[in-house]
Amino acid sequence: MTIISRTEPQPSAGVVEFIGSLRFRAGRFVLIGIPLVILVIWTTVPIVWAVLASLKEPLEIYQSNTLLPSNPSLDAYREVLSMPGFRGWLWNSVLVTVVATIVPLTISILAAYGFARYAFRFRHLLLLLYLVPRIIPRVSLIVPLNNLMTDLGLVNTYWVLFITYTASAIPLATWILVGFFGSIPKEIEESATIDGANMWNRLRRVMIPIAWPGVVTAGVLCIREAWNEFAFVLALVNETGMRTLPYQLYMLKDSMGVQDYAVYNAFTVLTVLPLLIVYLLLERRVVDSIVSGAVK
Amino acid sequence: MDNTFVEFRDLRKSYGALEVLHGINLAIGKHAFVVLVGPSGCGKSTLLRMIAGLEAITAGTISIDGRVVNRIHAKDRGIAMVFQSYALYPHMTVRENLSFSLEMAKTPKDVMVARIERAAGILHLDPLLDRFPAQLSGGQRQRVAMGRALVREPALFLFDEPLSNLDAKLRVEMRAEIKALHQRLQSTTIYVTHDQVEAMTMADLVVVMNDGRIEQSGRPLELYDHPATLFVAEFLGSPAMNLLRGTVVSRSPEKAVDVGGGILLPLPEDASVTAGQDVVYGMRPEHLAIGKPGQGIGAKVSLVEPAGWETHLHAEGGGHIFRVISTKRLDVVPGDPVSLVPDAGRVHLFDAASGLRI
Ligand SMILES: Nc1ncnc2c1ncn2[C@@H]1O[C@H](COP(=O)(O)OP(=O)(O)OP(=O)(O)O)[C@@H](O)[C@H]1O
Ligand SMILES: [Mg+2]
Repeated sequence: MTIISRTEPQPSAGVVEFIGSLRFRAGRFVLIGIPLVILVIWTTVPIVWAVLASLKEPLEIYQSNTLLPSNPSLDAYREVLSMPGFRGWLWNSVLVTVVATIVPLTISILAAYGFARYAFRFRHLLLLLYLVPRIIPRVSLIVPLNNLMTDLGLVNTYWVLFITYTASAIPLATWILVGFFGSIPKEIEESATIDGANMWNRLRRVMIPIAWPGVVTAGVLCIREAWNEFAFVLALVNETGMRTLPYQLYMLKDSMGVQDYAVYNAFTVLTVLPLLIVYLLLERRVVDSIVSGAVK
Repeated sequence: MDNTFVEFRDLRKSYGALEVLHGINLAIGKHAFVVLVGPSGCGKSTLLRMIAGLEAITAGTISIDGRVVNRIHAKDRGIAMVFQSYALYPHMTVRENLSFSLEMAKTPKDVMVARIERAAGILHLDPLLDRFPAQLSGGQRQRVAMGRALVREPALFLFDEPLSNLDAKLRVEMRAEIKALHQRLQSTTIYVTHDQVEAMTMADLVVVMNDGRIEQSGRPLELYDHPATLFVAEFLGSPAMNLLRGTVVSRSPEKAVDVGGGILLPLPEDASVTAGQDVVYGMRPEHLAIGKPGQGIGAKVSLVEPAGWETHLHAEGGGHIFRVISTKRLDVVPGDPVSLVPDAGRVHLFDAASGLRI
């Protein structure tokens, strides 16, 4: 089918519109674009710097001030991967992160649903108390926790990490999910009730899918918390085989006389990389679930 | 009534110390289309949600099909509900929205497919089955919400202001569609609205509620012609009834009502009032005729609204504003004098103190 234009094109109007849109674009760039660029530089420079440093030769960083490695090599990565304990530390980090994401998410989903939907006594007070573990500085918890865990005989076990990581992730995840669940209109759940869904089905088939972006957000934050956690693992674990990657990274700095910056940075990059991959994969999911009409 | 399908007996609802429904008694016949109408906050939604099983019953009973349902779960009451916000499941396609209840009831696959097909056919949803609610227009969402109710094949349909989110034209269309659907399916329907036009046009039985009580229930024209209370008289009809406060005076041989401003209004012959009684004198706008000069109430036109086949008129006289509807094409402009003649046989009289019809 051909479309025949009946009106003469009006160049002047078009030009005005074009200039207007240019001005609009310029304004938008100043408002959104520039801060974004600054933010991107701010966040990526350290990583880029670490990657570049990891490709240099062991002492190059002390000898030249050039940013780019003169003779890039992957030797530092080979060295890190061939460290005798590396697989163990990686496994520890993965295991602890998986447990300290799935367990808190499960508990938080149930708790948040209760907080969002049931008007029980002391609801608001409880929700506030929920935040206490996150308001108290983590360091101040370490001595009492250490005493407690020693008494329980849990020091130097996975359990001590599972328990402390899970406990510190639950408040965060719950608060995020209370907001998401609370913003779902009550009528949707009431429809499901009339449609014959019991509480479990309402949660599984209606509430969680609609709040999915929130679940993923909470999950990503749990993963980040557990993966990067340092204070607890430092205080409650001291066997070499029980270390996580951040702990080992810290030890690396300590144990090397003249620091091998390339190895150190390669270790850093390898520590950050899995998290980065998770971020990239899950960010997609969040966007997908929003686009697929989860939000009215 | 023999064919009672839904019955409320002294039904009450309190939120804490606040009682919002003060003893509702009503019987609804099988296949009826009942409209609950009343101003905002009068308790319509609360009543509907109690029937649905979404709101606990404080006192009294609700029975559906001869069975007291107070302690029966929403899903087992044989009802389906359409919400004002539609409350579609946003993460499911239209097809999944329709099949959800059937899935929950573990309906066999072939029955499920057949029911969805039937509902989709009735409501013209076929081309929309694979879309998500966010991809539908308001009217389409409305139909999906009805489809979701339909597939459950309920004995009782509940609607809570289902049309209030639609624009005026679509509202009129959907009104007719819902009415046609009811005529086809014959399911008993309880429909909540605060729009008196919807109430009048759709209902077999109109129930006017006010402040947690039933003011009056009856067939639409019955209520229109014989409003039992001042509230109903004022609520039904658009433009609203002219209501003038006055005192009965003896003007031998017959009585009249003095509404002030030197205006004496005639009473029907059989009016059982006594001289000195305070009354409210009501006249529907269509029962005020334009008379010859010197006849009836002398007034001055203040507003003319030609609506096509009828003309709405505001006229001021004796300190009162009179609303008039005439089906004649009136040749008047604001400022013109008119004389208004009430049809004495169709006057509504209410006791000023109690608000009850005399
Ligand atoms: N959960 C609640 N807690 C306390 N009071 C409530 C609650 N729900 C409703 N009410 C009160 O009950 C009364 C009736 O409310 P309801 O929603 O039934 O009114 P409605 O007739 O449906 O009004 P509308 O036309 O605005 O929808 C109102 O005064 C309202 O404030
Ligand atoms: Mg309501």
